[in-house]
Amino acid sequence: MFKKRILLFALALAGAGAAWQLTRGTANEAPIKPPPYEPATRDKDGLIAAAGLIEAVAENTQLGSPTSGTVAKVHVKVWDKVKAGAPLITLDERDLQAQFQVQKAAVSAAEAASERADDAARRWTGIKDSGAVSAADLLSYQVAAKEAKAKLALAKAQLDQTSVMLDRLVLRSPIDATVLQVGVRVGEFVAAGAKAPVILGDISRLQIRCDVDEQLATRMRDGLPAKGYLKGESSLAGGADRSIALKFVHIEPFVIPKASLTGASVERVDTRVLQVIYQFERPAGRAMFVGQQMDVYIDASQNASGK
Amino acid sequence: MYRLALNMLFGDRAKLAMLLCGLAFSALLMAQQSSVFFGIMSWTYTPMVNIRAQVWVSDPMVEQVNDAKPLRDTDLGRVRSVDGVAWAAPLHTSFVQARMQDGNFKLITLVGIDADTFAGAPAVLTQGRIEDLRLPDTVIVDEWGAQLMGRTEIGRDGKPKTTPLKVGDTFEVNDIQARIVGICKVRRAFTGGPFVYTTYDRAKAYTLGARRTLSFMLVEPQKGITPAELCGRIERETGLKAWTSDTVIWSWGERSLARNTFWWFWTNTGIPFSFGTAVLLGLFVGIAISGQTFYSFILENLKYFAAIKAMGAGMGVIARMLFVQAFTAGLIGFGLGAGMAQAIGRAMIEKGMPPFVMFPQILWATFALVLGISFVSAVIGIIKVSRVDAASVFRG
Repeated sequence: MFKKRILLFALALAGAGAAWQLTRGTANEAPIKPPPYEPATRDKDGLIAAAGLIEAVAENTQLGSPTSGTVAKVHVKVWDKVKAGAPLITLDERDLQAQFQVQKAAVSAAEAASERADDAARRWTGIKDSGAVSAADLLSYQVAAKEAKAKLALAKAQLDQTSVMLDRLVLRSPIDATVLQVGVRVGEFVAAGAKAPVILGDISRLQIRCDVDEQLATRMRDGLPAKGYLKGESSLAGGADRSIALKFVHIEPFVIPKASLTGASVERVDTRVLQVIYQFERPAGRAMFVGQQMDVYIDASQNASGK
Repeated sequence: MYRLALNMLFGDRAKLAMLLCGLAFSALLMAQQSSVFFGIMSWTYTPMVNIRAQVWVSDPMVEQVNDAKPLRDTDLGRVRSVDGVAWAAPLHTSFVQARMQDGNFKLITLVGIDADTFAGAPAVLTQGRIEDLRLPDTVIVDEWGAQLMGRTEIGRDGKPKTTPLKVGDTFEVNDIQARIVGICKVRRAFTGGPFVYTTYDRAKAYTLGARRTLSFMLVEPQKGITPAELCGRIERETGLKAWTSDTVIWSWGERSLARNTFWWFWTNTGIPFSFGTAVLLGLFVGIAISGQTFYSFILENLKYFAAIKAMGAGMGVIARMLFVQAFTAGLIGFGLGAGMAQAIGRAMIEKGMPPFVMFPQILWATFALVLGISFVSAVIGIIKVSRVDAASVFRG
C-alpha cells in the first residue's frame, strides 16, 4: 500500500522534474558571438564614417583620339609604365603616307623648277650689255624665279602639313603614367571624341575618393586626419592593425548625387554626398588596386570639441 | 488525523484514478497548449534568433522584424559615425520567389550579410564553409529549406520521394543562378520560407527591382556601453530606430525588437484567441472533472466525516483534512500532467514541428492553476461537510 503511494509520488516528482529541466533547455537563446572575421572597429569618438573608392593620383586620364581611323598598331599593354610623349597607338596612315610621297616628289619638282628659274634670272641679270636684253624681259625672268621659289615654299608647307597630320595619327602619352586599360585592338575603328581607347594614371601613389552623406557634411573640415580599411582584408590580417593612414588632399566643392553601384538605367537620386579626397602611400607587401572599395573613418574629434 | 485523510484518499483506487486523471489531463492540456502557442509565437521573431547582433537599426516606422522598410546605403555611414558604435554591418532580408530546377516555385527568406566580415552569419553550418559565400552566385540554405526545396519524384513504389538539396545543387532567384555551398542549422520562421543566406551585394542583384536594399543594420556597441544606451544615441543622432536583440518577451524592454514583434502578432492576429480558448477549456475541464470527482468522493465518505464530527472534531480539523487530500491529489496530478506534457514536448522538439517552447513561467502558471482547482474542490467539499449533521451517522 505504502509502496504504491511512494511510487505515485515518485512518478509525479519525476514528471515535474523532467518538465522543469525542459523549461531550462527550450527558452535559451544562442549567445551573441563575434562575426567570423573581425570588422573595422572604431576606437575613438567623433569619427565620420564614409565609403571610399581608390583611384590614381590626379585621377585617371581617359585619353581621347583627335582623329578617326582604324588602329594600325598598339604600342603598349596594361601595367606598362610610359614617359610623357611615348607613342601608345598608331592609326592607319597609308592614305597620308601616299599623299606624303606625292608631295615629297612635288617638292623636288618645285626645287628643280626654282633652280632653273633662278639660274635663268641670274644669267640674264649678269649680262652687262644693256642692249642684249630688254628691261621687260629681264623683269619677267626675275619674277619667274620668285614665283618658282614661292611654289617651292608652298610644296614644302604642304609636305609639312601632311607630316603633322601623320604625327597626329600617333597617340602619345601626355604624362608619365601607367597604362591602366587598353580598350582597342589592331584593326578596330576609333572615332574622334568617342570612348577613350586608353586609360592612363599615375599609380605610384593612390588616392581615395570618400563619399560622406550630406547629413554628415556639416561636420567635415579641411585637413582632418583619416584611416582607411580595405574591403576584403579582414580575412587576411588576422587581428593585426590593418588600417591605412590617409593624408587629406581636398574637399570637392560640389556636392553630387551618390553614384549607386547597381547601374540600372532607371535609377533616381537616392541621396547626395560630399566627396573628400585623401592620399596614401601604397603599403609595402599589400596588394591594392585602383577601383577597390575602402571603409574610411575621418577623425573629426578635434572640431567636435571646438564646437 | 492527516494520515487518516491520506488513507481515505488512497483507499478508493477507482476514485483516486478518476481524480488524478482529471487533474493530470487539465495540467497536460494547459501546459502543452500554452507551450505550442508560445512556440508558434516565438517563431515570429526567428530572425532575431538566427541573426545574432547586439543592436539592430531600422527605419523609424518599422514595428516588427518581419516587416523591413529599407534604408539608404549611406545610412550605414551615418550609424558608423555615431559615438559608441564599435562597428556596423549591413543586412538585407526579404521574401522572394525561388525557382527550383524542376520548375516549382518556393517562397524563401533571402538574407544578405556583409561579405567582408560575415556579421550575422548562421551559427551552425552542418556542411560547407562560410567563406565559400565569396564565390560567385553562391548561397547557404537551412536544413529545412534543403528538404522543402528538394526534388520530389514518384518512386518505383508509386509513392512520392523527396531528395533534399545538397551542396552543389542550384536554383534560380529572379533568373540569377544560386549555387548551394553550405547547409546551415537555424530556427524556422513564422512568416516566409526557409532561410537562404548570401552576401549583401549579391542580395542586391537577386532583388532586381528594389531600389533600396538595406533592411537592417547590425551594430556592436563599444566596450562599456550597454546596447540600450547605444540605441538611445543612435536614435538621437540619426533619427533611425534602434533595437536591442534580447528575446525575453516577458520583459518591459520597449527596445527589444523580439518583444515588439511578439506583441505585434499578439494584437494583430487571431492566434492568441484560438490558443487562449484551448487553455481556458483545459482549466474548465479540470475544474469540472476534478471538482465533481472530489465532490462525489466526499459524498461517499460523508459518513466518515460525520463520524469524525460526532467524535468531537471541530470544522477546522475537517477543513484541514480536506485541504490535505485536495492538495495531495493536485500535486500528484500536476506532476503526472507535466510529465506527459514534457514527453510530448520532447517528441515535438525532436521532429521540429509543431514548435514547442516551454517557458518556466508556463510550468509555474500550470502549477498555480492546478492548485487553484484543488482549492476550489476542497472548498466545495468543506461546504458540504459543514452542512452535514453529526447525528446522521447514528441514523444510517
